[in-house]
Amino acid sequence: MADMVSIPHSQPQQHQFNPYTENGGTILAIAGADFSVIAGDTRQSEGYSIQTRYAPKVFRLTDKAVLAVNGFAADGNMFVKKVRQRLEWYRHAHAKDMPIRAIARLIQTMLYSRRFFPYYVYNILGGIEEDGTGAVYSFDPVGSYEREACRAAGAAQSLVQPFLDNQIYFKNQTPAPGTSFPGHLSLSTVLSLVIDSFTSATERHIEVGDGLEMYIVLAKNSPSIQSLRDIRGMSELTATEDGERVFVVRRDLKKD
Amino acid sequence: MSIMEYNGGSVIAMAGKDCVAIASDLRLGNQMLSISSNFQRVFPVTDRIYIGLPGLATDVTTLRERFRLRVNMYTIKEEREIEPEAFTHLVSSTLYEHRFGPYFISPVVAGISKTPTGGIKPFIAATDLIGCINFAKDFVVSGTASSKLFGVAEGLWEPDLGPEDLFETISQTLLNAVDRDAFSGWGAVVHVITKDQVITRKLKARMD
Amino acid sequence: MNSFVDQFSTHSPTAQLKRAQKLIAAEEDDYSDAAWGSQAGFGGMIKGIPAFKVPAVADPTAFLRLHTDDHADPNCRIKIQHGTTTLAFRFKGGVIVAVDSRATAGSYVASGTVKKVIEINPYLLGTMAGGAADCQFWETYLGMHCRLHELRNRERISVSAASKYLSNLVYSYKGMGLSMGTMICGWDKTGPAVFYVDSDGTRLKGDLFSVGSGSTFAYGVLDQGYRWDLTDEEAQELGRRSIFAAGHRDAMSGNTCNLYHVKEEGWDFIGNYDISKMYYEGPGDVPGAPGGGYGYAIRTEGRSAANPPPS
Repeated sequence: MADMVSIPHSQPQQHQFNPYTENGGTILAIAGADFSVIAGDTRQSEGYSIQTRYAPKVFRLTDKAVLAVNGFAADGNMFVKKVRQRLEWYRHAHAKDMPIRAIARLIQTMLYSRRFFPYYVYNILGGIEEDGTGAVYSFDPVGSYEREACRAAGAAQSLVQPFLDNQIYFKNQTPAPGTSFPGHLSLSTVLSLVIDSFTSATERHIEVGDGLEMYIVLAKNSPSIQSLRDIRGMSELTATEDGERVFVVRRDLKKD
Repeated sequence: MSIMEYNGGSVIAMAGKDCVAIASDLRLGNQMLSISSNFQRVFPVTDRIYIGLPGLATDVTTLRERFRLRVNMYTIKEEREIEPEAFTHLVSSTLYEHRFGPYFISPVVAGISKTPTGGIKPFIAATDLIGCINFAKDFVVSGTASSKLFGVAEGLWEPDLGPEDLFETISQTLLNAVDRDAFSGWGAVVHVITKDQVITRKLKARMD
Repeated sequence: MNSFVDQFSTHSPTAQLKRAQKLIAAEEDDYSDAAWGSQAGFGGMIKGIPAFKVPAVADPTAFLRLHTDDHADPNCRIKIQHGTTTLAFRFKGGVIVAVDSRATAGSYVASGTVKKVIEINPYLLGTMAGGAADCQFWETYLGMHCRLHELRNRERISVSAASKYLSNLVYSYKGMGLSMGTMICGWDKTGPAVFYVDSDGTRLKGDLFSVGSGSTFAYGVLDQGYRWDLTDEEAQELGRRSIFAAGHRDAMSGNTCNLYHVKEEGWDFIGNYDISKMYYEGPGDVPGAPGGGYGYAIRTEGRSAANPPPS
């Protein structure tokens, strides 16, 4: 009765294709009247482990545009590389830098072209519009986007964003009788809010910390340059003579 | 679907100089549907202790009565009012009794405690749903908006705030946090507890 | 002469550039030569439907659902924004389009300033419910084709044709995971028109639609107040009041209401109204508004012991 013996056979093994991981960190951008600040922490983690204490998430694209990427670091770095390639092609074809609103639309189409195999990346684009105003564009992973004045994304977005709603948009606040809120915040106010946001997020979120990189984009002849004079640890990254200027400020965050 | 998010709601407590504050939203929801804008989840325990019970609404009612019973029994037995520290441990052990079938509540306690030298000390604490206590010196948060509350509180709170400044700080923290949470909001209430009085104020919150 | 040599040379800079472009195009993203120019990503799309990168797995749809669908798994990594109330209705004076502005990812309110009315062109509007990117991208794309229709046929596209173009387009992706519920609204030769189009391929012509998680609340107010011969002011107020009802009761709708009115000459943006402000004070001094807050507690203040007058 050999054929009655059931032969133990292994079930077909199913392997799941999982090309994504979450690398933590937080990014943030705030637009002012004639400037834009784009910031991100530099910790890269996977689960409870820190892979590196310095992995930039914020990248200068042109003298008018800076892109912050958060989510899956490999997708993010590849995405920035591809955006930069497209911007270089544009520069060769038109002998000028692509305006930021066009970069925003480009990013939408690039993200959407991967609609069925998305880049796991949250993008925030900050910079100066052609009319000289500060701009922030925020994207979801498949390319829906919106122009805003301020946006936080990433691991600590839910910690930082409501704080910014309160301090940037003055939500739930009423001005004292006979006074009004400032129409536009100064660069020094914005920078201290960014630093406060990241120190707070570092305190309460394990995936945020190590270092802080803040990119500052100034419009042509912006008077905000005055408030940059006494900022510690600042360096200029401007590459063209167009008039817009890009600076980066690096700060330490707690490493525990 | 998480049962902790079934009805929504959040609570925060903050310590100040010789005062504490506890605040919560007033929403009772059925997942995405908002039902009531006057659902109290913060209750007085003694003249100087308040407890906030964010979590599953049915357990809010049950636990409130259970704590009332246990505090009354304590008062009768000890012939004195319960101190915040002792009450927190009472909360903790009540919750841990149900370790393997817990109440879906993570309470927040705020009160003023007496020091052995006869002074007073602000007291705040929170526990998880099975009673692990977190004694904090600054602030404690709980509920569906906890991560948002942490972020704002960390940015706004500072040591040794007086009752009025503490009220402003906790109110701003709560309102801005719940506005970023779909399951909290729909009104808010704040209690500021000082040595000799409790100030209770309803806040004009966003109604969406 | 130079160009002639260039054309056939295999090692001239032009040839090398062409080869590089081909390589890159073959590598991925499937951008045509047009993408090299200034037309951003839309450059290559005029010639046909753009190509998408698809993961090399047996079932790409299951892959996408695994990583993006927050109904199946709330902890999945890529959160596509959901939760909405949108409405549009046809009446004597045109079409009213009203939407909220909240985007939620799980319980987090990701944005309170979303533009859920997509201005396809000066006389066509589309609404956004479901995947924000799907609606934004395909309705922008629809706008390009409406313009091409104008150039080819020397007349504006009808709302019916535009909505059918979109419907056929999303139908070709059926089962791939697109998520959109949209109303295409406009005014053409036939008068005011509203079409409901969704990613399943449904396309319905009708007088009154509401789409999204808050639609039931909006329908409640809408059905009660709707008539064909509404005045412009009454119609605008009905749209606003319906979105308020949804924003108030639905946790995933709210923040502000954007109101549009489509007339024969094209659409008009009527205004942006804070939903919480409407609760306490009403929409402000606008025609059609009854004055005072919409909130039940506000309207009944001082009328019962349970709701005493403010001290």
